Formats: sequence, structure tokens, C-alpha cells
Amino acid sequence: MAKKAVSYSIEELNKLGKDGIPKALVSGEHLIYNSPASLMFNSPGAEGFGVKRAGLAVPDSVMLIVSPGCCARNTSLISSMPEYENRFFYLLMDETDLVTGRHLKKIPDAIEEIINFLPKKPSAVMICITCVDALLGTDMDRIVRKAEEKCNVHVRPCYMYALTREGRKPPMVHVRQSIYTLLEKRKKNPKSVNLLGFFAGLKDDSEVYDLLKSVGIQNIREIGKCKTYEDFMDMGEANFNLCLYHEARFAANDIQERLGIPYIDITRFYDIERIRKQYAALGQAIGVSFKDEKYYEEAKAAIERVKKEFGELTFTIGESINANSYELALALIRYGFKVSEIYCDPTPEQYVYIRKLSELSPETLIFSNLEPTMLYYDVSKKKCDISLGKDASYYQPESPNVRFNSDIQPYGYRGVTALMNEIYDSLKEVR
Amino acid sequence: MKGLRLVLTPFAPDQSGATGVLYDMGGIIIICDAGGCAGNICGFDEPRWSNHRSAIFSAGLRDMDAILGRDDRLVEKLSMAAKDIEANFVAVIGTPVPAVIATDYKALERMAEKKTGLPVITVEANGMRTYDRGEEEACLALFKKFKQDKDSIKVNEKRVGVLGAVPMELGSVAEKDMIVNNLKAEGYKEVTTYGFGATFDDVLRAGDASLNVAVSPAGIKAAKYLKDTYGTPYEIRMPLGRSIADGIDVKNKKVLVVHQQVYANAVRDKLLEKGALSVDVGSYFMMDKELSAEADVRLEEEDDFVVLTTKGKYDIIMADGILKPLIKDFGGDYINLPHFALSGKQEVV
Repeated sequence: MAKKAVSYSIEELNKLGKDGIPKALVSGEHLIYNSPASLMFNSPGAEGFGVKRAGLAVPDSVMLIVSPGCCARNTSLISSMPEYENRFFYLLMDETDLVTGRHLKKIPDAIEEIINFLPKKPSAVMICITCVDALLGTDMDRIVRKAEEKCNVHVRPCYMYALTREGRKPPMVHVRQSIYTLLEKRKKNPKSVNLLGFFAGLKDDSEVYDLLKSVGIQNIREIGKCKTYEDFMDMGEANFNLCLYHEARFAANDIQERLGIPYIDITRFYDIERIRKQYAALGQAIGVSFKDEKYYEEAKAAIERVKKEFGELTFTIGESINANSYELALALIRYGFKVSEIYCDPTPEQYVYIRKLSELSPETLIFSNLEPTMLYYDVSKKKCDISLGKDASYYQPESPNVRFNSDIQPYGYRGVTALMNEIYDSLKEVR
Repeated sequence: MKGLRLVLTPFAPDQSGATGVLYDMGGIIIICDAGGCAGNICGFDEPRWSNHRSAIFSAGLRDMDAILGRDDRLVEKLSMAAKDIEANFVAVIGTPVPAVIATDYKALERMAEKKTGLPVITVEANGMRTYDRGEEEACLALFKKFKQDKDSIKVNEKRVGVLGAVPMELGSVAEKDMIVNNLKAEGYKEVTTYGFGATFDDVLRAGDASLNVAVSPAGIKAAKYLKDTYGTPYEIRMPLGRSIADGIDVKNKKVLVVHQQVYANAVRDKLLEKGALSVDVGSYFMMDKELSAEADVRLEEEDDFVVLTTKGKYDIIMADGILKPLIKDFGGDYINLPHFALSGKQEVV
């Protein structure tokens, strides 16, 4: 038995093409290894914004988790955080509930009891249900209506259906749509824009704010920065939405249909040339021109500073990072660095980067964070000068690491600058 | 309302208890789920995961696997993994998903054995019961599957087996050393803690032990089975070496102890030795009637603890700190008695 972690080179992947991705790199085709990265999304609530935290992005809302005990067990990791105190409640199912579905009838009464328990009435109650109800075919719309009638409070469903993770509407897509259904139609304000996609908002220093303000947009709203429920409801007056993350596209479409607010997709890049092109395209779409030179030059200088000080660095990149691992790899290689390993399943959508990577760095190895043989990944072999992403630090414990996975999101040129500065500081520290 | 939790998060579920037993045994452990249950075990309920890993995998079930009952797909994934992962056996642990679709575990066991050539055990956990149920079933399934040939038994008078000692039963990983050291102090040279350090080979020679000690209710069934099968006598007790309630005067005080029953009983004995007036035991987990005193209580809902403490008028409560917010008005001494299955936190006392 080889006892070796399976990997493929970028060149091999490119040759196989997007329709021939090896089974070892397709999560649905093998057992799932509980690597640090898989735990971050398979251990709901343990890291970042899973369905539970996402559902509570609405200010002053609470969540009732209706599930077998195991689904809610580790919520204490979140509920012990001060901002989630008195916000999670549980209605635990037993074996009889599975057969009779009687747990569903108890939901309105449970919500009433929660409201009576709390010192202040919540703005909304999110009901989180899990795989069990997915299989039982539970009609949540009816339950939501009944609960709203009985308790006179907004109620919305959140589906923590791990079974549908690779489906048409995975849980993180659905929860985004669900929370924005609370928004109501308001008179449009041409000077208001919403940023959709993330739950904790962008870093305050992102140039997005300055650039939008420079063209007359006064109110830039994000759910993560809404302090009150009323602030959140003000998102209903936006002239248009900017959709920063693909998982919010369903919600953006829904808002467009329900409230008549159109949206524009923009993506997070770490290649400053792509960022520049994207701002130009956005400007064209809304009939303005963004003056982004200052931010471009700043990011470029940050890249040059790292190169000058540390030369041709070799990176490894994980997936627990605020970036598309493949896009980031390509950007770093274009800047003159090397990438030895990427720990992230490729998807057909990534081939736009994989094709380019294959030309520039064919030897880069791709590992799956989820494949069983990763149990045998040899962590004693140093493969980089610095690793990027929290999961990458597990595989490369001897190298310095930049996690770059905070809840507050980096974006645009300032995201590149922040990453480069963190890389610089980490390497300086160990030198 | 039955099942409603306003303060407490749910306790460790049965699939965590089952996995805890098998963790160190060198098998491929498949959690028959979509990902979240396995994540909860490795990321939360299994304190050993951060120190040394075990081949615990999620089946990675998707909706159509469940709807169409595609067990063959799971067996196929397992056989792929078995080619690359060294293993003595395979264990398939249930979760709510197979509970809903009524998975035929016996058939799954036969199919998987045929395909991989490895012995397979299954545990019908469903995520709705607590860890002790899964632990009990996994322990029993293990000994039943890997039965020792009676002719090969050579009883070692200096060997003792410990049953029901997965980390979730205790307050911290360090308490396992406490059990081992205390049994060694009793004269045993080899202490085999099934579910916490014991290997697959230890299971294969389980009949060689001269005594088995069940340190929690979850270990009792396996102890009885080993007695019936190999004639090994057993005792039910927690070799609790450490002192209890240091610095607190328990003389003539009414005390409530909340933990797993065998642990709590050991604490009770110590408190009574120190002069406590009375000590009642409460537990959110299995309670054996034969081990219970008259006033002992099986707890179910979070309100049960409130009612018990109000009615009991205790001077001292010894329980995991996670229960403390339920009784904000309690005026006596609250002594933290960690229980990993409740809080999911390791605390050294």
C-alpha cells in the first residue's frame, strides 16, 4: 500500500479537461476526509459563515434549529460568542417525530415560548431545518405562515441541507435568498446601492466605497454593516445591487424580480489587471468612469515590495482563504512568484484559470482537501516559503502562514495590498 | 415544551459515542451522512482528533443517494478507499439520514464485506439519542464481531479491561491516566482501556483479561457479554483517585452530583466519606436501576435540572459548568464537575 496522498499536476488536469476531472478531485465520487478545510464547512458553524451564522445576519433576529440533536451539537462554538448570546434555540427531534412529523406542529408554540423568554421581541425568527426534513419533504412555507400568524413576527426558513450541497440551490445560496425576502418594496433612491455576497461586510478601506462615492452614490449598504433591522430594511430602496459573490446571485435575481432592483455581477480578483478591467466594465455599465489609478499603483507597489525584499517566493495555497485559490495562484505566478501546491478541488468553472496556469506553471500539484488519502499527506516535507489559507498551514507546518480568512472581507486593489502586506510582515517576522 | 432548549445546546449524540469506541482501533470508520455529522465528530466531539487522526470519513451522501437508496454507491466509495487506506476492519455508523430512509445495515454489512474483503461492523446510530447509546452498541458490536477462540484464551491475572471510558465520559483526556494509574496501583500491570487507547489486537485477546471494569453505564452490556462469552468477571466502578470538593466544607450538607452515573456514584462515595449529609445523583444519560439510590433522578429536558435543584434544596451542586446558567438564583456552592459529553470542553479539575 503506497500510503501517499493523491495529487495531479496542473498540466495533467488541463489535458484531462473540465469534463474529465479525476474522481479523486470530485467530492461526490469518494468518501470525505475530515481535513481542516472540510471541517470548516462540514462542521456547521465551526468556522466562517455557515447556514447558522448566515441566517442570523439579519439584525436582532434569532434562530430556532429544528433537528436531531447531532445537527445542533456544535452550535455552542458560535453561541458562546457574545454577539450570538440568546440568539440560538433548539427544538430537538426524536424517533417518533421522524415517523409522525409532529415536531412541525410544535414550531409555532416553540417560537411563542422563545419570544416570551426574551427580554425584547426579535426582528425575525429564522427556522433552521436539516437533512431529515429535506428527506421528509417538509412544507416550510405553510409552517412559516402559521408561525407568523400565531406570533406576529417575521419568520423565514433556512435549509441546512448538506445533502444538497452540490445541487442547483445549495444551502448557502438558499439562505442568502431567504434573508433578503424580508426586504420590502420601497421608493427607489438613485443614490443608494447594496453590496450583496458576504455576511460581515467588506473591509472599510476597500476602494469600492471611495469609487462609488466619487460618482455620486451616497448610501452603500451591506447586511453585515446594518446595525438595526430598520437599517437592513433600507436596503429595499437601492437603485441597483452589486453582487460580489456567486452564491448571492440567486438572491440578487429574486430581489430583481420581487422589488425591481437590478444587479451587476462583479468578482473578487487578486490579479490587478483583471481588477482594473472590471472597474472599467462596471463604469461602462452604469455610465461613469472610475479613477482607480491610485489604488492600482498602491497594490502594484505592495507586490513589488515583497518581490524586492524576498525574491522569487514559492507559495502553497489552500481553500480556506478569502480568494478563489486558482485565481490567486495565477495572479501570484503572473507577478513572478511560484506556486508549488494548491489544496482545493478544481471545478469546471476553474478551467479559465487552470488553462493559463498550465502554460505558466504546469508542475503545480493539485490536492483535494476532501479525498481519503490526504490522511497520508506528508506534513514533514516543506514545499513552500509561505503558505496561504488556514488549511494550508496544516499541510505546511514548518512554513510561515498567512490565513487571510477573516469574516470581514478584503476586496479589490486594497485586498491585494492587504494580502501582500500580510505576506511581507509574516516573512519579516520569521527572518 | 418537550424537546425545546432555550439555554443548553444539545449533548454529544450516539454517532459520536460509537466513533469514540472505535477511534484508536485502526479501522476505516464511515459516518453514513452528508458531511455535517462527521464534521461534528472530528471537529467537536472527538478531542483526540487534534493530536492523532483516525481514518474517519463521511459517506458524502447526496439527496439522490438517499432518495434512491444507493447503498451500492457507498460500497463502491468504500472499496476505493480500502485500496489506499490500511485498515483492520470497516465500521459504518448511522446518522439521521439512514434512519429516515430505513437503511438495511445487515445488507450493507454483507455487501461491504464481499466487496472489500474486510470485516465490517455497523452501528445503527440515528443522531437523536445521546452518545452513551452509540458507545454501548459499538462496544458490543466490536466484541461480538471479533470473538476470541476460547481455546486461545490464556487468562492473565495482571490484565484488566476498562469498558465505557471514551473521552466523552470524562472531564478531560487526563482522566484516562487517572483510571489507568489507579488500576495499576491495585496491582494490575496491563490496563486495556477499550475506546481510549486500546488497539485492534487488544480486542482480539479480550478474553485474556482477569477482570473487566465498567466505568460508565455504557460499558455494562459489553462487560456482561464478555462474562457470558469468556467467563471474565466484571465490576462497575470508577477508579476515581483524585480528591473531590477540595476547600469546600461538605459536612452535613445536601449535595447534588450530575454526571454519567458511574462517575457520579464514585463522587457520591467520596462526599459521603467526607461527611456529606446526603448526596443525590442526576444524569442526562443512561441510568442503571441497580446502581441508583432512591432519590437519584434521570434528567431529560433542561427544565428537569431546574425543577430538581429547586425541589432538592441543595447546599452544593457538582455539575458541568454548562448547566450553571439554568439556575441563576441558586445560592449554594456550585462546583464545576466537567463532563465532555455535555459541554464539549475539556477541563482539568
